[in-house]
This record gives sequence, structure tokens and C-alpha cells, in this order.
Amino acid sequence: MSIQVDNNLKDTDNKEVFEQRVHYIPCKIEEDASANVEKYFETYVTQNGDKDLTATFRGHPLDGIKLPLPEGYRGVLLTEAKRPLNEDMERKFQVAGGFKEIIYWNWDKKPSKNDNVVRAMDWVDIAEAIHGD
Amino acid sequence: MESLNDLKDYIKSRCNSTKFLNLSEVPSNCRSEACMLGVDEAGRGPVLGPMVYGVAYCPINRTDILKDLGCADSKALTEEKRDEILVKMLKEEDCIKNVGWAAEVISPNYISNSMYRRAKHSLNEVSMTSAIDLIKKVIELGANIKEVYVDTVGPPEKYQAKLSDIFPGIKITVAKKADSIYPIVSAASIVAKVTRDHALKVWQFHEGLDLDYTQFGSGYPGDPLTKKFIREKIDPVFGYPLLVRFSWSTAELMLQEKAVSCTFEEIDEPSNKKSPRCKPINSFFAPKIENGTTRKRKKHKFFEERYLTIGNAFE
Repeated sequence: MSIQVDNNLKDTDNKEVFEQRVHYIPCKIEEDASANVEKYFETYVTQNGDKDLTATFRGHPLDGIKLPLPEGYRGVLLTEAKRPLNEDMERKFQVAGGFKEIIYWNWDKKPSKNDNVVRAMDWVDIAEAIHGD
Repeated sequence: MESLNDLKDYIKSRCNSTKFLNLSEVPSNCRSEACMLGVDEAGRGPVLGPMVYGVAYCPINRTDILKDLGCADSKALTEEKRDEILVKMLKEEDCIKNVGWAAEVISPNYISNSMYRRAKHSLNEVSMTSAIDLIKKVIELGANIKEVYVDTVGPPEKYQAKLSDIFPGIKITVAKKADSIYPIVSAASIVAKVTRDHALKVWQFHEGLDLDYTQFGSGYPGDPLTKKFIREKIDPVFGYPLLVRFSWSTAELMLQEKAVSCTFEEIDEPSNKKSPRCKPINSFFAPKIENGTTRKRKKHKFFEERYLTIGNAFE
């Protein structure tokens, strides 16, 4: 299987496309579809102090922070128009957008260095040490 | 604040996803003379809209004003009558000089968030905190409170003991149906009820729903309009707009049935967990390896702790 990624947004003037807001919600949501994040969720995000954020999801209080991606990394969102039926065929993806930070939410607990997702970023440095030039 | 429109404008100007206070100035006579204060709540049961705590206070020897106002069992009064009494409290000379009031509007989101905390905060705790804070606030502003009357739905004794601890030197009376016995509690009840009614009237849906109170009703689960709202205005992912108390079973059950399933981290209840003291006997034998499967190498703890796995997003 080979993969081809096209980036039609390469020359776009719209910077926002690559600065999408990504929320990590501490809850398993059994759905894969678009959601009205702006109206139902972001409306109620409030900032307290420098960087502490609060929000609410399904009645649950959330505490959050902005988690920048490690230096030199970017988040990319890809879409595939149609998955080929034959496994050996080349698959084509389109760049649909990107992000530079994750808004990380915990349920009623301030995010800290002990959170798994925060710690997962450690791997980036370690991987560099092991596999880097 | 001089009219119900002022009340509406004020509520509208405040954030409807937290809680806020609305209070009168302390009347001059309430600073100089010993006062009684009543506490009551409105909107404890409904699945929609805020719960409002109200207090009213006046000099102990001026309870005649309350009777003239018509403060009696607020549930026996019509909505119009309650509105009329509150307007009098805001406008009439004699009231402004003698009757002070305060209300705390506790948003449905504040209620859900409290009840859905990791360490659950019950509605009773939210209520008690609100009542205590209101009394403290009024005293702090300079009202000379000597007697406090509180309406309660639960058993009065514990509540009374708690309040007496917090406010030594004040005579505390906690009673069921205090609303219909003490005019000052009835006045507090009117403050709370009128505030709640108007909070519903000016409710703004930041979610972009084009609806108003004539379409979602009183908020009581028995109200057909409210029932319809709870059944129909569901967002598959987010559930409801923040007018709804997510922690009410009416809402919970409806979301279970009609919205996408969402599972939060489970919190261990240590009480009903049996800790296995001894290993099962078969753990001493060599593990059985199924035909054809090779044993997987165990992932290092480093990766496990960070939720890191080798994956292929394109699979």
C-alpha cells in the first residue's frame, strides 16, 4: 500500500486553516461526525488568570490548558475522498487543515505534568535522542 | 432597580452559566434597628433554568409593612400578585426605608457542574452554601440581623444547628413551610420566585436556538412544553443547551436514549471492591498459549503510562 498526500492548501492565504482549534475532551464520545463546537462548547470556555481555562461538557466541569505541539512539529488533518476497495491500490489524501496546539481538558482536575497526554510529549525528545542524527 | 424591566435587564447582563447576586441597598432603618431576615428558594425541582435563593429583611417591629404588602404563602399567590408585591418593594417609600432584599441566581450549569464533580456536591450543599453566603453578605453590608427564619424541605434540626454555629448571636429558626408561617420568609420567597420567573423570561441561548420561555415552559418535568423541549432539543454530541440541568434524571435518561453515548472516567468506589488476598490456584501453572498465537512482547511502562502505541492512522 502506498500513500499519497496532496496539499491544495499550500498557497492559501487563509492562515486559520492551519491554526484550527483542537479540543481533547476527557470522555469517550461514540460518534464520528461534525459537531457544533463553536456554539455549544467554545461559547462557555472561560479563562481564569494566565492560562487556566474552564468549560463544561454534558454538565461536567472541565479544567483545561493550551498544549503547544513540540518545537518543530505540526498537526495535520487529512481527508480521504474514497477509500480504494483493493488493498494494494495507492491511497490519496488531501490536507484539510492543521493545528499548532491542543486544548487539553481534564474532568474537574487541573491539567498537570502528570497527565498522560502531557507526558506523551516527552517521547518526542527521547525519540530524537535515540533515532536522531 | 425600580421595575421588573430593570430586573430583566440586570439578569440579561449577567453570565447565565455561573451564579450571581442581585441585591438592594441596605435600608437605613435596617442598619440602626434590630432586623429579622427570611430565607427561601425558588426552582429547586425543575429540570430547566436557574435555582434562585432569596432573602428579605426588615426591622423586627415593622413586620406590619410585610402584611400590608400581602406577603403570605407565596405559592398561594398568583404570578401577577407576586410581581406586584416585588414592584412595591422596589418602589414604595416605606419599603425602601425598611425592607432590604437579596437574591442569588444559581445557573443550571452551576448546578450540573456541582453535581457532576469528581467529589459530588449535592443540591443540598449548593443550597446551604447559597443561603449562608447571602446572610453573610447582607450582614457584611451593614444590616443589623438578629433573627433568621429559613424554609427547608429536609429535616430542620441539622440545618438549624449548622446555621447557629456559623451565626452565633443570631436567633435561628428553621422550619418546614416557613414560607406560609412567617411573612418575612414569604417576602424572601417572592424575591426568589419573581427573580426565577424573570430569569427564564430573558434566557438567552448562546447555542443559537431561536426559542423563548413560551416554548420551553415552566421547567417542571410535568409541564408539557418542558417535556417536549427535553425530548426534542437534543444535540447529538453536546446534549442540551445550558438551560438544562444535565444532572436531573429526566435529562440523563433522555440523553441516554437519544444522544450519542459519552463515557467519562469511572471513579472507583472503594467500598464495594473486594481485594483478592490470595492468587487463584491456576496462576501457579504455566500460562496456556493458544495455538498459533505468538506471545506479544510487553510494552515498556514508559509507553503505557503515556498512552503511546504503535499505530497506523491509515488502516
